[in-house]
Amino acid sequence: MGLANMLAKESRAWWRTRRWWIQCLLWLLLLNVTLWLNIKGDLRVDQAGLNFLMMAGLGVPIAAISMGQDSILGERHSGTAAWVLSKPMRRPAFVLAKLIALGLGLLVTGVVLPGVIAYFQLRANGLSQLLSASGWAEAMGLIYLSILFYLTLALMLATLFHGRGPVLAITLMILLAGLMPWSYDLVDKHVPWLLAVLPWDMLLAGGGGQVPLTALLALGRPLPTVTPIIGTAGWCVLFTIVAIWRFRREEF
Amino acid sequence: MKESIGTVIETCGLTKAYKGVQALKSLDLQVHQNSICGFLGPNGAGKTTTIKLLLGLARPTGGTGRVFGKDIEKESDQIRRRVGYLAQDPRYYEYMTARETLRFTAHFFFEGPKAGIESRIAETLDLVGLADKADRPVKTFSGGERQRLGIAQAQVNYPDLLILDEPAASLDPMGRRDVLEVMTRLRKHTTIFYSTHILDDVQRVSDTVVILNKGALVAQGPIEELLARGEGNVYTVTIKGDVDGARQRLSTQSWVTGIQEISRNGSTAWNVSVTDPATAEAQLLRLLLADEQMTVTEFLRKQHGLEDIFMQVIAGAEHREGGHDVGE
Repeated sequence: MGLANMLAKESRAWWRTRRWWIQCLLWLLLLNVTLWLNIKGDLRVDQAGLNFLMMAGLGVPIAAISMGQDSILGERHSGTAAWVLSKPMRRPAFVLAKLIALGLGLLVTGVVLPGVIAYFQLRANGLSQLLSASGWAEAMGLIYLSILFYLTLALMLATLFHGRGPVLAITLMILLAGLMPWSYDLVDKHVPWLLAVLPWDMLLAGGGGQVPLTALLALGRPLPTVTPIIGTAGWCVLFTIVAIWRFRREEF
Repeated sequence: MKESIGTVIETCGLTKAYKGVQALKSLDLQVHQNSICGFLGPNGAGKTTTIKLLLGLARPTGGTGRVFGKDIEKESDQIRRRVGYLAQDPRYYEYMTARETLRFTAHFFFEGPKAGIESRIAETLDLVGLADKADRPVKTFSGGERQRLGIAQAQVNYPDLLILDEPAASLDPMGRRDVLEVMTRLRKHTTIFYSTHILDDVQRVSDTVVILNKGALVAQGPIEELLARGEGNVYTVTIKGDVDGARQRLSTQSWVTGIQEISRNGSTAWNVSVTDPATAEAQLLRLLLADEQMTVTEFLRKQHGLEDIFMQVIAGAEHREGGHDVGE
């Protein structure tokens, strides 16, 4: 009840305001212009492509975290959540509308648009033999799965905490921990099973120096494991369920 | 529990505690269909808490509540389909215009031809005097305009129950008058349950009154019954002349129990409390005018206003509470 109306409102907030083109511009500048500069510089094209995937896997999730926590906490603090929930609006529908609208918006502006442009940038600069459209699409799909991981994590934490501090701290800590060898090694040493189900190995070289799964997919190579993919998808579902469960119990 | 015939809101022992603080203590409330019920109480009495419980925005820690016979915890969605609600400090999406806000609200309740919905939106905007500001973003609205928008969005869906938390807040006297007119007009079609601090408004339009204090119900009933509770028989007189002499003459009368002086604009005004209104009506004016130099400019039997009753009820409740504590 209320999902269609709320989703329409969230979509309008994306596509009928300047938000969508600011996002498009942001990712084009951060990702595609950086790729172009790397290609024009000393970096090999394949390395430049790998850097693009890593930056997309790091940058767009930061936006997802910021938007995700604000979509719940912002409405709670401003009082609009209480107003909407005083209407015939089911609480799960409130959370799902946020997730779907943000997910679609980030997909288009942060994944599809820069991804398509990057594909042609790379092919035009010497990777036409190595890079297939399907492989590249699969790689961008993993990027998107990672974005969804951080988006649903931020949504869930925003229903568990009333302040932005803990939400941002926890999500950014998880995002950045995979980038740093010492934290990666720490997790590998103490909770190795967790590494297998986190999105880190999908996107980042990690402490072990492995080639990320996104790069393997982009180059059409076989994947050594699909556990991080299944694990990340599972986390997304779990985070969403917890977010809905917690939000149903929230008082305004 | 089936809905009592003609009862829209019914609570039984409704209780809410926040971290050990009793915000609402075992409230037994009844609001009848097509009535205007004024919900009063000092700040922190539990009025907004009660409203939030009825709407499912908070969960009770004890007791039950029903609106239209539906349980407030288990059937809240069905309740909210028939309710229009104005919060105490209404908040909307700032980037939306008034029209968009009403459209968004209306789509929670209506499906069907767009023309019909737009017509209802236009009608509602006109009703609250926002037709010329319909396409301005809410962020540009003044407090009074936001309040008007709040009233508009509360009634856009033709609710069976209007719950208004301080509907006249932020409004100038004309705006307040308009709100009261809207409420009076709507009573034929809907039940109105509203909280306010403006007791004059309650007295003007309400059929029943509920008074809360510190989370507890201290009075509930038709407004005439409540007004009849006014303590004692009191006559208000305003005099010019030998005030001391007049006081002496009245003080010696056995049926005069007290004289309370209120200075007004250079004259002397008294509230004279009496035990026997019949004797007071026959003798009081004669006693005052026994001095030929005395002028009486006002003489009337004091009508207890709701403010007086409210103060008495609250003071009485606090006195009983204090006595109970002492007894422990």
